[in-house]
Amino acid sequence: MAAAVSPSRILKDLDQLWVDLGRNQQADAPAAVLRACAMTLLVLTDDSSEDPGETLALLMRDHPSRLILIRIAGGDSARLGARVLAQCWMPFGRRQQICCEQIEITASRASLADVPSVIRGLTVPDLPVAVWVRAGRFCGLADAVALLPMADKMVIDSAGVADLAAQAAFIYGALREGHSVADLAWTRLTRWREAVAQLFDDPANLERLAAIVKIRIAWEGERLPMSAAYVAAWLRKSLGPLPRFDFQPLGGAGRSRLHTIALVGEDFEYSIAVGQDRSVELQSGVRASHSVFPRLTEYELLREELSVMGPDPVYQAVMSLLSEFIPKS
Amino acid sequence: MTANPFQDPARFERRVPPCALVIFGANGDLTRRKLIPALYRLAYDHRLPPGFAVIGNSRTPMSHEVYREKMRDAVKEFSEETPFEEAIWNDFASGLYYESGDLSDPSCYQGIHARLAEIERVRQTGGNALFYLSTQPSHYATAIRGLGDSGLSRAADGAWRRVVVEKPFGHDTASARALEQSIHSVFAEDDVYRIDHYLGKETVQNILAFRFGNGIFEPLWNRNYIDHVQITAAESIGVEGRGAYYQEAGALRDMIQNHLLQVMATVAMEPPGEFEANAVRDERAKLLRAIRTPAPDEVLVNAVAGQYGPSRVGGERLAGFREEPGVDPHARTDTYAAVTFFVDNWRWAGVPFYVRSGKRLAKRVTDIAIQFRSAPHSVFTLAGHDGAQWAGPNLLVLRIQPEEGISLRFLSKLPGSGMRLRPVSMDFKYGSSFGVRSPAAYETLLLDALVGDATLYTRRDMVEASWTAVQPILDVWADATFDFPNYEAGSWGPKASDDMLARRGHAWRTP
Repeated sequence: MAAAVSPSRILKDLDQLWVDLGRNQQADAPAAVLRACAMTLLVLTDDSSEDPGETLALLMRDHPSRLILIRIAGGDSARLGARVLAQCWMPFGRRQQICCEQIEITASRASLADVPSVIRGLTVPDLPVAVWVRAGRFCGLADAVALLPMADKMVIDSAGVADLAAQAAFIYGALREGHSVADLAWTRLTRWREAVAQLFDDPANLERLAAIVKIRIAWEGERLPMSAAYVAAWLRKSLGPLPRFDFQPLGGAGRSRLHTIALVGEDFEYSIAVGQDRSVELQSGVRASHSVFPRLTEYELLREELSVMGPDPVYQAVMSLLSEFIPKS
Repeated sequence: MTANPFQDPARFERRVPPCALVIFGANGDLTRRKLIPALYRLAYDHRLPPGFAVIGNSRTPMSHEVYREKMRDAVKEFSEETPFEEAIWNDFASGLYYESGDLSDPSCYQGIHARLAEIERVRQTGGNALFYLSTQPSHYATAIRGLGDSGLSRAADGAWRRVVVEKPFGHDTASARALEQSIHSVFAEDDVYRIDHYLGKETVQNILAFRFGNGIFEPLWNRNYIDHVQITAAESIGVEGRGAYYQEAGALRDMIQNHLLQVMATVAMEPPGEFEANAVRDERAKLLRAIRTPAPDEVLVNAVAGQYGPSRVGGERLAGFREEPGVDPHARTDTYAAVTFFVDNWRWAGVPFYVRSGKRLAKRVTDIAIQFRSAPHSVFTLAGHDGAQWAGPNLLVLRIQPEEGISLRFLSKLPGSGMRLRPVSMDFKYGSSFGVRSPAAYETLLLDALVGDATLYTRRDMVEASWTAVQPILDVWADATFDFPNYEAGSWGPKASDDMLARRGHAWRTP
């Protein structure tokens, strides 16, 4: 039988944590710590992937939260445990620490069904609840379904997912039921999309929109990545049904990722292509300019995603067109 | 024209349309320290269009390459929190040009005209250009006239030409009007961007969000609940090599007439109907026009001038203003000014707005303190309640620098059996609530001017109204005899300033 975990006990432990932090005040400090909290952030993860600790510590500086980290372990026996701790940092040049609360819940797969009932009593009142599903060997989207009703926003990551159709069906279903779901595979495209939009800030280029006849999308790797499907759906949404699509797998080992977007007319071409070092060439007719699309860390992606807590109409419109570009499973 | 269908306002930052920027005074400190680093940051953030170009102008002859090198050094030295990326710099620098020339010489503008035409052809800037006057204020009229006479101020169909003017906008009402006439003989008001970098600060902008995005304070934001307002802009440093300029300006002109009256207007204005440039500026202008113009005898009791003398702080001797390099040993300049303003409208009738600014004060701080009225009857003022002396009014402090944030002071009971009261502060600090980097004021304001958003820029009527508010004080002070210096460097200003508040039963807070 699983050890019981009581939300009330956890909240008492949190209270005690703040009392202890207050006692550790240095004599010359104006106040020991400053508690910062702008949301509840639930993170569902397991031990099979890299520890998200560093990502979350950085994220607390941008989006201070009550962090509830749910770690799922393998095994058939029922196990459930909890502990509380604080994520603290001293901002440069200041004398007061800033702290966020962290509740760590460990559960075996057999106890996973008990977790939502514990979490319901632990979210911070009156503030948004974000859920980040960091899928691994022992947890995935199916486990996240129980958390959807309490989430103001759920963040998943479709990069590297093999069954794009199933993934898209989950997102589309959740959106249709009124939940807010975001995909880090879409977040990674912000720089790309911004670069495309910037090309058409130029009125001369804008006038050629209707003359675009072909869209070429190339990616490294063999399998179509979700990012390429997203870009195609976004361009379809933006340009309408006329341009035809030319998908080009460039091959190579490793995870598939977007390489080139080209918008082609009879006598012109606009393209954006990323090199090995993440340097980017933007070609607009004869003029080329350069930029850098740094490989974004999970922290940077989440930082952006958690900044968009309301509806995301562009993503929702893209989701409604995505099925055209996804191979049937 | 078709709208760009690729926009995503929820995620994309605002971007600059194709255009060129012409900086007059391109070899000066402002350009090196603020403008070019701000532009580089915009390039780093992908906000600039691919063909964006900058033409720098000053009298010193220099090649494009030498100018690019100088600006490269400036970006490396003054770009805070922005990594120097070679590829991004090279792209940016490829659009960086230099045209030397004297502003009084028509050939200077012909050179810029030719360079702009070439840039338009090569870099597709669409004929759009922003002219930035970063020169000595005495050259503004010449530059504006040159832009008009050369035709540079006139845009082709569908394109735009704008001008950014740095403060000071004149040194009194008459000179401000003369400058405005000169500007308006060439540019339409919609194309004039008068920069007040205080309005570009995140916290000043946040006053709008705080007031008009939250419902709880607005019902209290009036004479019924607010006792008085204190606005402080204190600097711990002296004139730092700007002595020659500063002794002609003084604290009232340099800070209060522009920055602090704009801040006061932001704090006190009525809610605009929408967050749109002219709607916001209309309300600011209305507030500035409602500031009571003091009669000469009122100036004597509602305005205080000060000048710092020498002193020792922490074992270090600090020079008095008259000992500073470039300063006349008999200078009558106000390095400190404090003014009590009244706003003659229904919302603020009878509420004093105490505004002070000074150099060589005890610390560097800029904040706005809203002091609410005390409770009509305090049950805790009876003898025996420890802490009764604290049973003062609530205080809301909007901090602009150095640590941006908002604090609300209220009373709380100390734990224990007795009724012992202590004031506590509920703090919101930008640094902890939003870890993301705040853009520098010049990034915000340059981007706004290039995008065509004038919300944070000062309009002609606002400039005139703020001069009208301080001109009577300048007039009285021009004929007055001051016993300067009247405050020690490192203090909180002259005693007369404390007396000014004490006459109404108030006292300056110590920020």
